[in-house]
Amino acid sequence: MTFLIQQTLLYAVPLMIVALAGVFAERSGIINLALEGIMIFGAFVGVFFVNLMQGVSFFSDAYAAKNWLTLQGLELLAMLAAAALGAVFSLLLSFASVNLKADQTIGGTALNLMAPALVLFLIRIIANQNTLGMADGSDAASWFMIKKSTLGIDRKTDLGFLGETFINKVYLATYVCILLFIVLSILLYKTKFGLRLRSCGENPQAADSLGINVYKMRYAGTTISGALAGMGGFVYALTTANCASTGDVAGFGFLALAVMIFGNWKPLNIAGAALLFGLFKCIAASYTSIDINGDGICMLAKAPISAHVYRMLPYLITLIVLAFTSKKSRAPKAEGVPYDKGLR
Amino acid sequence: MKKLSALLLAMAMVLSLAACSNNNADPTQGASNPPAASQPGSEESNPPEESTAPSEAPAGPVENPDDIPDTMTSADNKYQVAFITDVGQLKDKSFNQGTFDGVKLYAAANNKSYKYYQPANGDQATDDDRYNAMKAAVDGGAEVVVCAGFMQTAALSRAAAEFPEVPFVFIDGSPIDGCDNVAAIAFAEHQSGYLAGYAVVKEGYEKLGFSGGGGGTNPACCRFGYGFVQGANAAAAELGKTVDINYSWEYGANFGASTELQTMISGWYNNGTEIVFACGGSMFQSIVAAAAANDGDVIGVDVDQSAQSETVVTSAMKGLSTSVQWAVAKVYDNSFSDIGGKGTSLGAKDDAVGLPTATWKMETYTVAEYEAQLADMASGKLVVDSMETEADFAKLADTEWSNVNLNVI
Repeated sequence: MTFLIQQTLLYAVPLMIVALAGVFAERSGIINLALEGIMIFGAFVGVFFVNLMQGVSFFSDAYAAKNWLTLQGLELLAMLAAAALGAVFSLLLSFASVNLKADQTIGGTALNLMAPALVLFLIRIIANQNTLGMADGSDAASWFMIKKSTLGIDRKTDLGFLGETFINKVYLATYVCILLFIVLSILLYKTKFGLRLRSCGENPQAADSLGINVYKMRYAGTTISGALAGMGGFVYALTTANCASTGDVAGFGFLALAVMIFGNWKPLNIAGAALLFGLFKCIAASYTSIDINGDGICMLAKAPISAHVYRMLPYLITLIVLAFTSKKSRAPKAEGVPYDKGLR
Repeated sequence: MKKLSALLLAMAMVLSLAACSNNNADPTQGASNPPAASQPGSEESNPPEESTAPSEAPAGPVENPDDIPDTMTSADNKYQVAFITDVGQLKDKSFNQGTFDGVKLYAAANNKSYKYYQPANGDQATDDDRYNAMKAAVDGGAEVVVCAGFMQTAALSRAAAEFPEVPFVFIDGSPIDGCDNVAAIAFAEHQSGYLAGYAVVKEGYEKLGFSGGGGGTNPACCRFGYGFVQGANAAAAELGKTVDINYSWEYGANFGASTELQTMISGWYNNGTEIVFACGGSMFQSIVAAAAANDGDVIGVDVDQSAQSETVVTSAMKGLSTSVQWAVAKVYDNSFSDIGGKGTSLGAKDDAVGLPTATWKMETYTVAEYEAQLADMASGKLVVDSMETEADFAKLADTEWSNVNLNVI
């Protein structure tokens, strides 16, 4: 059970934060199809940052001395770097769709095409191969994972169910993302800024007539979106891909888009949708060793069901749930429409 | 101002797109071509009389292949020893890299120019992509082409027939009918796997895992796995106990690292698996990540991988580097006809398989015991059953293992 919850969180958290990134852009009226591209770019930036910093004696000494606090700091810095450059990357989309009034779908698609090529190009220059990982073959878990030994607790001590699940073998990034998710959801729904941002996605003309700068708001929405997606990309690479960048995030950006639509552009629903998807993704990958009630028998592996069925589960579930919920799903009214002051 | 920034941005977009297309334009060349800007400089620095000598070859014999650069520029743009990679990365710290190390070591010691060619489209490379890489190698002046991985069979039979005067060294392959210019070199991986499986069970591990690449159709990986189970079974029988083995080809079809593989192996460790045999190139990364997160152990493959991670207890090695050097040397001392046109199988008797004793991390099982067993294997006293054809792949699941609970996933 502990394993299931932990792995589900690892898959769900990047999905959740990137889906929220989509919400920020779309609520401000910009369709951000480029989530996948920005994630790829963010993952690359974060991994490259970590790779570089491993060579800095301040951090390599900290690793040698097992100074975990410094390493967690490095993790946060890498997240910040990924977020910052993700935001910069998303400026391309905002510029094209706000200033140039270009078709947002095409702009986003262009970024999606550009990001993997650009990243692979850079990785080939830097690492002379198609993967950029951590330096010297070290792994993400030994640098960044919080374990019992990290906290100075003996490996054999039992921390109880909650302790084992939420303190042992976890990444700080997971909790930072959950915290950010809550804070930004509040920002979107309970503050003046959030109300203005949302109004620009519903009826920009009305918002403008009340003195809100629609362009600025759309820039803000997309930039926040880019930062979150970039960070989400790095968190994905860190927690599930051993801190390696390959110019690919296994379609998580598109999954996040699906989660966003599935979650009806509302944070709480998105969190639920991401958890559901993460759970099935986790079952699909590790059904052979999931032991729900702790009796040492893995029921799912014993059941006479083909492995392919388990692999299909995440997508089947999405299809089924979408079929039942999409009727009620409602996108921001003005999304995808370039704002034109002259139109009423 | 607005126009200016628009222009700048447009330029940035165009330039980055140009950069991408530059990347995709000539994938077979890979990164082995230096950027155009640096080329004139390196050519000028070469005296013309050294036209075939590698410009960057270090002086004197080099022991450590990592000290030899992966790419070099020859003055006449001809590369005498060519290497075609298998799927996966060149620097996979395993199969490709181990084979390429042999190429580099031979070239550096004998003052040859060398170059690697990565078939286009990475993991999705088709036979055409591989053939194109081989053709590029021959066109690039290759005097011998080293091809890694049995997946190159179809492409190689085409290239070898088309360029009958060029010798090909086919690592992990079987001989190709009618092509006397192909020297196939295979290894007795089952022996290497046996040694590893025997060693870890003797060491005291009781719950093992095997995660193989190639989706269960790669002969080398199948032999590794089959030998591993035999070794574990033999050691468990001697100790009078039963060991569990999780055995899986899942998520390893293209030998790459993946999140799914990492999750699956994490699940194994979480359920008590103590050590996993990571039988595939870059897959190693996913398995090590899972091991590090769960305080598990790993067995490396092909080359000594202990430097890659603290979790590596031992590695099931095969002599990639030495056999490449041996085969390439045969080309240059005109005895290639000894090995051309047929298959050479290298095993314990040729000193081509084994465990790395220098980086030994086992405590209960000793180097002396290991060496005695290796000697038995070399002398033929200890025979490990092998898998030669595809029909044999079923042997693993069909065998009744006396002391192993085999859980094929």
